[in-house]
Amino acid sequence: MNKSEVSILIVDDDEIVRESMGAFLEDEGFIIHFADSGEEALENIAFLRPVVCISDMRLAGISGEAFIVQAYSVCPATGYLLHTGMAYSPSPELRALGMTQEDVFQKPITHFSVLINRIAAIASTGRMEYSAC
Amino acid sequence: MIEKAGTDENSDSAEGPLQKKADSRVLLADNERLKKALIDVLDTLPSIIARIDREGRVDLVNRQLELFSGVSAAEAFGVLLESLIPHFTPQLRQVAEAIDRQNPISFAKIQYCSGTDVLYFSMHVYPLRNENSGMAVIRIDDITEHVRIEESMIQSEKMMMVGGLAAGMAHEINNPLGAIMQHAQNIERRVSLTIPANSKAAEEVGVSLDQVRAYLEKRNIFEFLEHIRTAGSRAAEIVTNMLKFSRRGHSRIETVVLASVLDQVLALAATDYDMKKLYDFRHIELVREYSADTLRVAMNVSEMEHALLNILKNAAQAISEAAVANPRITVRTLSVDGMAAIEVEDNGPGMDETIRLRIFDPFFSTKEIGVGIGLGLSVTYAIVTREHHGTIEAWSQPGVGSRFTIKIPLHRRNG
Repeated sequence: MNKSEVSILIVDDDEIVRESMGAFLEDEGFIIHFADSGEEALENIAFLRPVVCISDMRLAGISGEAFIVQAYSVCPATGYLLHTGMAYSPSPELRALGMTQEDVFQKPITHFSVLINRIAAIASTGRMEYSAC
Repeated sequence: MIEKAGTDENSDSAEGPLQKKADSRVLLADNERLKKALIDVLDTLPSIIARIDREGRVDLVNRQLELFSGVSAAEAFGVLLESLIPHFTPQLRQVAEAIDRQNPISFAKIQYCSGTDVLYFSMHVYPLRNENSGMAVIRIDDITEHVRIEESMIQSEKMMMVGGLAAGMAHEINNPLGAIMQHAQNIERRVSLTIPANSKAAEEVGVSLDQVRAYLEKRNIFEFLEHIRTAGSRAAEIVTNMLKFSRRGHSRIETVVLASVLDQVLALAATDYDMKKLYDFRHIELVREYSADTLRVAMNVSEMEHALLNILKNAAQAISEAAVANPRITVRTLSVDGMAAIEVEDNGPGMDETIRLRIFDPFFSTKEIGVGIGLGLSVTYAIVTREHHGTIEAWSQPGVGSRFTIKIPLHRRNG
């Protein structure tokens, strides 16, 4: 995986969370994009075509769950991760899209390597479908 | 059932012998019927019933009292009730006053230790109001089950409340906490030698990254960053624990040998850093009484270990604080009524009833501020009741020790 080819869209309405996650992933070498709502992310996702999209659960407008369901219909090749402050397991709708507990990251993340490994796994398996997005 | 009282009402009848004989036969039949009915009523009631005089002497007891005291009705007649049921002496001492005042009195929750079981009784004293005034009827009921249900209902209500608060709070706390911890990590990385952008930025401002690092090290900045992360993890753990109060178990369930889980927990306890630091666990004698040592139970192993470890920590701390002469913790496995039971008993200082009733309350702690925040046993409670559909009870007697009994169903319900 060449990290500089892997783009990540971070969706979070909390600027500090967005920035800290962004700085971390940027230092890892990924290309980072931000959106502060599901609505904004939906406007740009077809254009950005991120390899991975990390979304907060509780957003100001549509929920992270609803956002992922809609985003998937536009960009099914993107790997979606949820970054949430609550204990959460993927809803049936999200499971239907192939999401598992491994795609849910509970805030605060204490072991960042787990997140990096998950992104790497998505980037290496999703590569071929990626161009179809 | 005894009934010795009564005078022969017809002995001084003025009627002829024949008439007298016929009447007494009718009366005798009535008396017999009445007596039988009374016995039936008294013996059918689940209550322990006795009639006593002002001095406490028994003139009537029912079957339940015979069973409870182990003394037959005939032997009980004329004996002081407090000698038959000595446990209730403090309450029985107030009967005379109730008779004098002609006022019924009640005692709501009398604790009674029978072997290793704790039972609860209520007692009602009803002074007689008829020509037999000067006497009272004592009614004692076993309300153990009622008390247990009430306690567990109150407890789960509290937990739900805290759980609800926690769920709402978790998001608000975890967001800033996430940023704090992530940024601590970011700062470390932005001065690391492995990221090319760092050297480049340092160069642009006219210093070398090595110099920057040397300075930071000299001023302990790396240590401070590490402390930020450690403190953040601790705060995160509190929130995670609080979330357990409202969460229904959908966790990984395995079927394991109960005794081996206990062994594992004891091994964990012996190596646990906190335990070593705060209480000398090695000096506590560990007694294993596994009466069900091959019993297999479905459980979330890591959660149950966590639950048991909290109990062990509490026991160890209580023992070491009280400086008990021969510190001992006994762990037992039992199988009762379709439930697997785990008991953890210590010979520590014990606790009084007011504390016992609150030990599962979130944030209730008898420890000094800073030593504990009072989540340990409430987390244990949540793990046992919510995740394993089990029950947990605490028994304690000041000066004797405490015992926690966890029961979880052997056959797990679905859902």
